[in-house]
Amino acid sequence: MRFLVNPECYHKMCESCVDRIFSQGPAPCPVAGCARTLRKQRFRKQTFEDLQIEREVDVRRRVAATFNRRESEFQTLRDYNNYLEEVETLTFNLLYNIDVAITEAKLASYAKQNAADIANNKALSAQESASTEARMAAQKEQARLRREAARIEEEEERREREEGRREIIEKIAHSTDDPDKIVREGQKVVLKKSTARRNAADRLRAQDAASVDNASAPLFQIAGLRPITQPQLEQVYDPFGGYVVKPSYFELQPSYAHPWLEKAKTDPQILAGGYDVGEYCARTMMEACAGLGVFVEEEVARRERAADADLGTQSAAIAGGEGGGSGSDVL
Amino acid sequence: MAVSPVVTHEATSNVKVTAAKAKSLAVRTNSFPHKTEAPPEKKQGGQELAERLNHETKEKYVKDKKLGEGTYAIVYLGHLKADPLSKVAIKKIKVNTEYRDGLSMDAIREVKYLQELSHPNIIALHAVFSSKNQNLNLVLEFLPLGDLEMLIKDSEGIRYGTAEVKAWMGMLGRAVWFCHENFVLHRDIKPNNLFIAADGEVKLADFGLARSFSDPYRPMTYQVITRWYRPPELLYGARFYSGAVDVWSMGTVFAELILRVPFLAGNTDIHQLELICQAVGTPTEEIWPGVSKLEGYVGYEKASIVPVRGKDFYLARFGTAGPVGVDLLMSMLALDPRKRSTARQMLEHRWWTSDPRPTAKVDLPRKGGGLEKMGDDLKRRGGEVEDGRGNKVARKLNFGATK
Ligand SMILES: Nc1ncnc2c1ncn2[C@@H]1O[C@H](COP(=O)(O)OP(=O)(O)O)[C@@H](O)[C@H]1O
Ligand SMILES: [Zn+2]
Ligand SMILES: [Zn+2]
Repeated sequence: MRFLVNPECYHKMCESCVDRIFSQGPAPCPVAGCARTLRKQRFRKQTFEDLQIEREVDVRRRVAATFNRRESEFQTLRDYNNYLEEVETLTFNLLYNIDVAITEAKLASYAKQNAADIANNKALSAQESASTEARMAAQKEQARLRREAARIEEEEERREREEGRREIIEKIAHSTDDPDKIVREGQKVVLKKSTARRNAADRLRAQDAASVDNASAPLFQIAGLRPITQPQLEQVYDPFGGYVVKPSYFELQPSYAHPWLEKAKTDPQILAGGYDVGEYCARTMMEACAGLGVFVEEEVARRERAADADLGTQSAAIAGGEGGGSGSDVL
Repeated sequence: MAVSPVVTHEATSNVKVTAAKAKSLAVRTNSFPHKTEAPPEKKQGGQELAERLNHETKEKYVKDKKLGEGTYAIVYLGHLKADPLSKVAIKKIKVNTEYRDGLSMDAIREVKYLQELSHPNIIALHAVFSSKNQNLNLVLEFLPLGDLEMLIKDSEGIRYGTAEVKAWMGMLGRAVWFCHENFVLHRDIKPNNLFIAADGEVKLADFGLARSFSDPYRPMTYQVITRWYRPPELLYGARFYSGAVDVWSMGTVFAELILRVPFLAGNTDIHQLELICQAVGTPTEEIWPGVSKLEGYVGYEKASIVPVRGKDFYLARFGTAGPVGVDLLMSMLALDPRKRSTARQMLEHRWWTSDPRPTAKVDLPRKGGGLEKMGDDLKRRGGEVEDGRGNKVARKLNFGATK
């Protein structure tokens, strides 16, 4: 004859009684004075001779599944030990039926507050027990997913930037407005779009944070946990380091015909050293179109003049004087 | 091709820079009175203002100990008076009586270009002020981890591979690209002008030889760039040149990072050219049209001409960079500056996105990093052993955690 126990009350009964009593669904325990509701599904074979131990192991297993923090998550070993001691107190209470209701509430509260960490540590444990190859495969897959996400985001941003640029060019082609103004407005739009997307991402993140914040205040809190540093998204390496080139508002001609430039384009003494007239044209065009910078300078000067008459005049005089020349000849 | 100025993602930073610039220009006027163009009665007020601004700036910083001495400056560690934990490098320019106003051109250039160039891979200039005796002081970003030369030379203590070389070269490339995109030539790129910040970021420093791209027909000096890093066109006395000179320097730094000794260490300019001929090839009219018209060009006898080295030659010496890396290196060491990669083309090369991925800057080897780290580990282990109570608790729970 086989005996089974149910972790609800650990009352021992034979297999055929279990079949008979609980096959129709949950029923009260037949042991006098117990009457806990038991389900057939949870009956199992006894592992330990001593049912007290059987129960302790079950309780510990359940607590350990929730309180699965690792030493590496704590700032100091002392913090980790303090945590272990608190968990032990909680376990002890459950084993010896001290303050069971409040202890269970604490456990549930902790489980809810730390669901993500618990799941994460559980996955880690599973990974650790899995074979090395499986682990590597999982890591590779995760890295691939991260890269994919980063690539998609980047593409989206690039596409928006491109579109913004095309719009600017079309506007310049089909409008009588001052090209400079169109460009400036166009840039604002591109900026606004990416700001909008960033805001959307921020909102999502804020929502996540709020859903945690709004949950009931934790009944069980741990001190000394290391602040979680989110692993940096592994982004695609950008050789330019995130710097972008402003959409240009002039198409540089392959060659500018100007008698003054002719010699520079043909003199071997100038060419053989690598001097490039094109670079000079580019710089000149850039300086001619760099109105935006001058506006800012003047605006700053004006603002400062309002704040401090003395200071403002000086800055404006210097900013104006400096902005005029290219400055390259000075040195 | 369209050329365009560069902007960062932070649209507001321009405004800040310009405001700062307007202010520091006022300070600068004080140092170079001949540049003030304001009418006399205004000048009086301007001088006072400039002095006040200068005084304010000077009072903001405190000089601590001396860090080192260079050719034209003494460098001190300093901090913001308002923040004792902050760190800055204060570079006090030595007075040079050769110059009318007691200031060397180097210092003026350094201020001028550092003010204009704001980039993570270019050393930041926080402020400028003059101290007693009209000494010019540059308040620079403090860069505590030495320079690239120290890392290259410490072949006993520091190990690195292609991923690290790629990370360092990438940061150098960004700095130079940014300079060129803003029409500035650096003209002194070499490992000991590449400082390392606390976070591992490489910072291009020493703009004492920098200048803007020149106007047509305006000759430039060819006595620039430290000899080992100097391109053939400058050794031949070219007076009209381009950003290609900086790219050659980057190529020689790239080679040095791999070899861990200077690639072309000539004793004289003539010797330098010989080394280039041996390692890269002899410059001739065929491969570099017009080269013989350069003032300092020396003819070569047919028998002594070394053909331009092919890929196999480079692979034998720089094989660790891989075939793609070698391809990039060769493009940076083209003899004819017009055939050399530009800084932009360098960054567009596929080496950057091919394996191995560049090491993250926090993981890059650093000066003395090995020893410090070991000390840390020892300290921590000592602390753990002392904590007796902790061990007991840990054991107790270990029993419980068994499944
Ligand atoms: N920004 C900085 N942060 C920390 N140390 C610096 C900085 N700039 C210079 N130093 C130190 O001061 C020394 C002299 O600097 P510098 O005048 O630039 O030298 P050099 O003339 O050799 O280029 C350097 O070797 C370096 O040790
Ligand atoms: Zn029975
Ligand atoms: Zn029962």
